[in-house]
Amino acid sequence: MPTARGIRGERPFIVFMLVPAFFFLLMFYVYPTLFNLEVSFTDLSLFGLKQGGEWIGIANYVELVTSDDFHRVVFNTVVWLTVVGVAVRIVLGLGLALLLDSKVLDKYRLKTISRVLLLVPWATPPIVAIVSWRWLLNPQLGDINKLLLGLGIVEQPIAFLSEAAWVWPALITIITWNTLPLVALSFLAALQSLPSELLEAAEIDGAGRWQRLRYVIIPHLKPAIIVMTLMSTFWTFNNFVYVWLTTAGGPGLYTNVMATEVYIKAFIDGRMGYSSAVGVVMATLMVAFGMVYLRFIAQREFKEVF
Amino acid sequence: MAAATAAPMPRAFRVDTGFSLPGELALVLLTVLVLIFLVYPTAWIIVASFKTPATMFSATRFEFTLENYVSLFQTGFARNIFNSLYLCIAAVLISTFVSTIAAYTFSRMRFRGKSFIFGSVLLGQCFPWIILVTPLFILFAKMGMLNNHLSMLFVYTAITIPFSVYLLVGYLEGVPRSLDEAAIIDGCSRFQAIWLIIFPIMLPGIVATATYAFMLCWTEYLFALAFLTKTQLKTMPLALYAFFGEDTSEWGRIMAASALTTAPTLLLFLPLQTRLTSGLAAGSVKQ
Repeated sequence: MPTARGIRGERPFIVFMLVPAFFFLLMFYVYPTLFNLEVSFTDLSLFGLKQGGEWIGIANYVELVTSDDFHRVVFNTVVWLTVVGVAVRIVLGLGLALLLDSKVLDKYRLKTISRVLLLVPWATPPIVAIVSWRWLLNPQLGDINKLLLGLGIVEQPIAFLSEAAWVWPALITIITWNTLPLVALSFLAALQSLPSELLEAAEIDGAGRWQRLRYVIIPHLKPAIIVMTLMSTFWTFNNFVYVWLTTAGGPGLYTNVMATEVYIKAFIDGRMGYSSAVGVVMATLMVAFGMVYLRFIAQREFKEVF
Repeated sequence: MAAATAAPMPRAFRVDTGFSLPGELALVLLTVLVLIFLVYPTAWIIVASFKTPATMFSATRFEFTLENYVSLFQTGFARNIFNSLYLCIAAVLISTFVSTIAAYTFSRMRFRGKSFIFGSVLLGQCFPWIILVTPLFILFAKMGMLNNHLSMLFVYTAITIPFSVYLLVGYLEGVPRSLDEAAIIDGCSRFQAIWLIIFPIMLPGIVATATYAFMLCWTEYLFALAFLTKTQLKTMPLALYAFFGEDTSEWGRIMAASALTTAPTLLLFLPLQTRLTSGLAAGSVKQ
């Protein structure tokens, strides 16, 4: 058995193969994260990087926990961006997958074209999606306001990205538009693996359309729904560009989220220490989530590797 | 009930959809509206980039011009395209090589601590990049590496490694282990087994992974924003957003730059993804 003999001889090989990846991961993820933790206990300023910061213990964390602004930021990140944003995506993704899977599209020869066109938002880079939606939602130039005015639904154009009542729905629309295809496609693939006998049997037993969805289709899609919910949570919670390039956290700090707060505190207010503390809170939340991901998704997907 | 128990019908026009005719038409209308919603924003960017300033925001008028592109390149945008291109290509080459050899090791070798190490690599995917920006900025500033493409190359290589390893291990798990074992029994060294047997089989997977990695770097904004401030060093996405102003935005240039940013991702992504999804479909609806 060459493998039995190979174990000792292959150690240099294993080291050689893993060292390059390790170099990048340690230098890029591990070291900066630890350094960030250290900076979070100082009052380091962007404008005094050379002098360095003074050790101030947990003062940054005390300020953060007691600050109303930060409570607002956490609320925005958790409730608006993540919970509402992800829920909208999962529900619409499910609806879209059911629509694309329906036999009606087959009959009217819309199946192929709809699947190709579904990929367009996904292939559009977020930075470009934001450009397009900033124009679409623009009060003077944008087509959405022109359409609403033309149909007589509104009398004054709506400044979607600067009115408090509209800005979160507008942001969630942009993120949903850009990320919906991935969710819908993943559900569609799961739908296609649903044996049609199951649905036929349910129909014979007298299950209506709603009951088939509730008792046959949704249970079958459950693994895909769990995966997509977890992955969307990461992508959305961690994301910086959508909020930054659409509203920069505004109007005021109304749409400020944790990712933009880290950036604003470090590079606009110049408070590197405080910014690092926000980052540590963010990383802690994500590591907790990451453990759930590893446990329930990755370890199943890569059974042989673990 | 009769429809459910009847013999399978030919898939001609008489498909039983389970809906009445008005119901079918409503679904078709809904589909068309959804497709317009999905395609309109991207299609509009590309169309608008060829419209004169006078007709740019009109839904009905269209006058063709290349003026937007000409004025975009007068700002030195070619330099920004070049920066993005060589940074992304160099980073993708390094990261794909590093990830491929790491992925092989994770998939095929047994060693102590593997679950922990592989788990940590996967965790890198879920890691918020934003919290690395502050510490990396401080470290690069201390080393005099701000406004430096070498530090960007390091960043772009590092951000693409975790998901490249993830994708490549996925591909490798689909390649039978007996292949490399047979090669080694027949006298190949590990390196020969990888290079002669596994690499050719994996090549489509490697190309797909590299393509995704390229698109990730090509549209990356955050690190470039934090680490590059000199105009001639900026990447495309940064230069694009510089055309947005507080009060007025240079929409002509914005549209042209957006279309140029999207073109490669559309051209690379659609073939890749269409093949992937049709593969998924083909596997599951075998008749």
